[in-house]
Amino acid sequence: MTPDSGPCPEGPLLKLLPVDDRDQGTQRCRLGPAAFRTLGVHLGSAVRVSLPGGGGACLCTAWPRRDGADGFVQLDAQCASPGSAAALALAAGPGGGGLRLGCLRAVPCPPLRRVTVWPVLRERADAPGDAAVLEAARELLRNRPVSEGLLLAAPPGAPGPLAAVHIVGGVPEPAGLVTARTCVGLGAEPPAEEAQPPAEETLGGLAEAAAALRELLRLPLCYPRALAALGLAMPRGVLLAGPPGVGKTRLVRAVAREVGARLLAVGGAALQGARPGETEARVRRVFERARELAARGPGLLLLDELDSLCPRRGGPHRLSESRAVAQVLTLLDGFDGHQDVVVVATTNRPDALDPALRRPGRFDREVIIGTPTLRQRRAILQVITSKMPVSRGVDLDELAEMTVGYVGADLAALCREAAVLALLRDEKRHDSPTIDETDFHDAFKKIQPSSFRSAIGLLDLRPVDWEEIGGLEDVKLKLKQSIEWPLRFPQAFARMGLTPPHGLLLHGPPGCAKTTLVRALATSCCCAFISLSGAELFSPFVGDSEKVLAQVFRQARASTPAIVFLDEIDSIVGSRLGGRAGCDVQERVLAVLLTELDGVGLRAEERRGSGSDQQEFQEVLNRNVMIVAATNRPDVLDDALLRPGRLDRIVYIPPPDQKGRLSILKVCTKNMPIAPDVSLESLAAETHLFSGADLRNLCREAALLALQEDGLEAAAVRQEHFLRSLGTAKPSLQHVDLALYENLFKKEGLATLEDI
Amino acid sequence: MAQDQPLLAVQEALKKCFPVVEEQQGLWQSTLQDCQPLLASLSNLAEQLQAAQNLRFEDVPALRAFPDLQERLRRKQLETGDTVLDRLEEKLDTLLKVRDTVSSHVERVFHTYEQHADALGIDAVLQPSVVSPSVADMLEWLQDIERHYRSSYLKRKYLLSSIQWGDLAGIQALPTTWNRISEDERQDLVQDILLNVSFFLEE
Repeated sequence: MTPDSGPCPEGPLLKLLPVDDRDQGTQRCRLGPAAFRTLGVHLGSAVRVSLPGGGGACLCTAWPRRDGADGFVQLDAQCASPGSAAALALAAGPGGGGLRLGCLRAVPCPPLRRVTVWPVLRERADAPGDAAVLEAARELLRNRPVSEGLLLAAPPGAPGPLAAVHIVGGVPEPAGLVTARTCVGLGAEPPAEEAQPPAEETLGGLAEAAAALRELLRLPLCYPRALAALGLAMPRGVLLAGPPGVGKTRLVRAVAREVGARLLAVGGAALQGARPGETEARVRRVFERARELAARGPGLLLLDELDSLCPRRGGPHRLSESRAVAQVLTLLDGFDGHQDVVVVATTNRPDALDPALRRPGRFDREVIIGTPTLRQRRAILQVITSKMPVSRGVDLDELAEMTVGYVGADLAALCREAAVLALLRDEKRHDSPTIDETDFHDAFKKIQPSSFRSAIGLLDLRPVDWEEIGGLEDVKLKLKQSIEWPLRFPQAFARMGLTPPHGLLLHGPPGCAKTTLVRALATSCCCAFISLSGAELFSPFVGDSEKVLAQVFRQARASTPAIVFLDEIDSIVGSRLGGRAGCDVQERVLAVLLTELDGVGLRAEERRGSGSDQQEFQEVLNRNVMIVAATNRPDVLDDALLRPGRLDRIVYIPPPDQKGRLSILKVCTKNMPIAPDVSLESLAAETHLFSGADLRNLCREAALLALQEDGLEAAAVRQEHFLRSLGTAKPSLQHVDLALYENLFKKEGLATLEDI
Repeated sequence: MAQDQPLLAVQEALKKCFPVVEEQQGLWQSTLQDCQPLLASLSNLAEQLQAAQNLRFEDVPALRAFPDLQERLRRKQLETGDTVLDRLEEKLDTLLKVRDTVSSHVERVFHTYEQHADALGIDAVLQPSVVSPSVADMLEWLQDIERHYRSSYLKRKYLLSSIQWGDLAGIQALPTTWNRISEDERQDLVQDILLNVSFFLEE
């Protein structure tokens, strides 16, 4: 049936390049003008390509290459004999050596009267009728040259129940064109082996990193002579860095499969040996094996988790490790350019690597894969859910917006959890569950981003509503203005030319709901919320506190938008005002905080997505981390911290006035049975200088008193109880203190005016 | 001059074809615009049906007086839905006509090219001029345009034929799904190509 699948005839060698994106699914074969002349074909003529090694054949239409270059061929093998994908990949690979021009043959392609096909249905289609299949097949075949025995695959992303059709009969040798007047019929199943529909691309959102890696792997494989002529030695080492779970290892595997390189994957830890010298021996063996593989074709050596094998040298008791590092270094240098081994290493702690590894000649190129951005998350979700029965109501855009800080592995876990929930929910329809929006939302509550698992200062906080805080209306408004608005409506801020504030300082006397306000803030703007206190920060080791603080900011930046909350900031950071030129821990922490708030730029490892992309507008705006600090001793804070650009808004939270006290009392007594004679208004009038905490205490005392007097069966708290507990309770605030708070920033404002 | 004859013939055919594409593209776009309100009303209807399903009619005293209210309401809503679907079918027919018109014109151009292909040779079709892209490019674009209409029509047809009144959530999401089809494909493909050939057409 395939008379032309014998050894390929002579002819100039054509390099087989991967097909362009816009030619996907067009069945085009791009040739240079010389090939056109030799073959004697016109634009759009049918060309039969016999693949080397008896790998079958495919049928294409001839079109000129855009750049008019000769010596290359690109094939969209949409209509090919079953199983020819492997042969094509082999020919495209460097070992395959491309195609001889003689493999291509112009074939006459008369319009067909009739054609018989055998449909290959998509996995998820629910058994369409014959008529629907016929119609779909007619659409798929229309205007395509076909040949008997070939498999025509549906273009990627095409709708309909068909994945592919086998052409089983009706086509005269060698080929024929299906037109609108061709009669399409269903035939018997072809006797040939089970055909596999083309595997779909399974990488989402990593296109950029994949392109960088692919280029590196492909250039020496595709253009060896050109590179030799230029006298270039291609880079042979790539370091992939990024947080765990973003898909570093997966990316390498996918690219290796795509390029057709032989992959040797080794975990860094697996190379460690117990006895001295054993690690080095294993490393040598692995590199030797990679070289052997490369002798037969392009090879790719993947060193997973390189940081465990090559930590920074120079520390004490690190002799064995530094020997291993030295071994890797010499082996990397030992590769000469003629061997096509590309060494790819992955790590999530690039800083922990020995610096000698990170120079050109060893790991020339560093590809940083950051936490996925909004669009990348959407792409990932699309890839994951493409094989799941997801109901049409599910909005992937919204899901991508919700999953801030999730990496690929987290998103996969999320979808898996949603699928399990759907399965459990639809007990009755075990065979065909569909995944709803609610399943995703329920799963979202369960799956936390993995970057948060080891995070410092992450809280499970009880949600607090703005309404649960009595009074303080203007303060609430200010808070919403400066925190909630920029996070939730960044477009509006951008339109007005505003840069969102960096930080906010809440100050006021103790017990006036500073912390509760922050809690309400965290509830209302759904973003990552990280709280830090002195206990988590300070450690007996020098430099540890600064490191922890920097790490907190790094984590927060990985999952922007985020709020970092520093309670009692006066205890965490010191002041440089006192005139002591000490080297206090607190001062160093302050210095770290200042640079984190308003530093020069981000560290290179924290890069996310492509910086220049206008599409990611919203996330660029949200890139900064907002910091909220609370204190009741604003006078001891350093001036540098309080300038605009750092903590640029300073909000005074006053003790509650009479109206505020009334609303606080109302909130406090909401769950308390109070007798009808209780007048909260009069209580509010009498509790001058009581803070919110005092008022809550007062209510508690009164309720306890009621229990004590009326026995445990007490039904209500009476006014008398309130009055008696009022007699014992003392306000925690004093006039003098309040005056201090109120005048603090006013005075400073005056002082600066006078200076001018 | 004589050897230019075939080239001129093909260019003439191309010059006839592109204005047709332009006109049909306008029709296609306006038809798609007309579909929006229909889809929105279908989605509203699905919401109403959903609401009627969730309501327990026997529990509402005011409604108890009307016998068979629920069935009647449902029948009425479904009838309205079918009317809207019929109108959508009409729109789809218009899209099909656009597709077929473009197809037939493109076919005619290719036919003309094939008649003259031997006389033309490969170099002449690859040669662009200052104002006109090469014949090869333009033929390729026509093929792209035709394929674009075909796949776009098919996607919409499959979407509409997958509507079932049992799947109310699906119908409610219909406007979004419909728009997503336009977003997923290269919307301005035809427009871009028409811009590319504008000088050639004015020549």
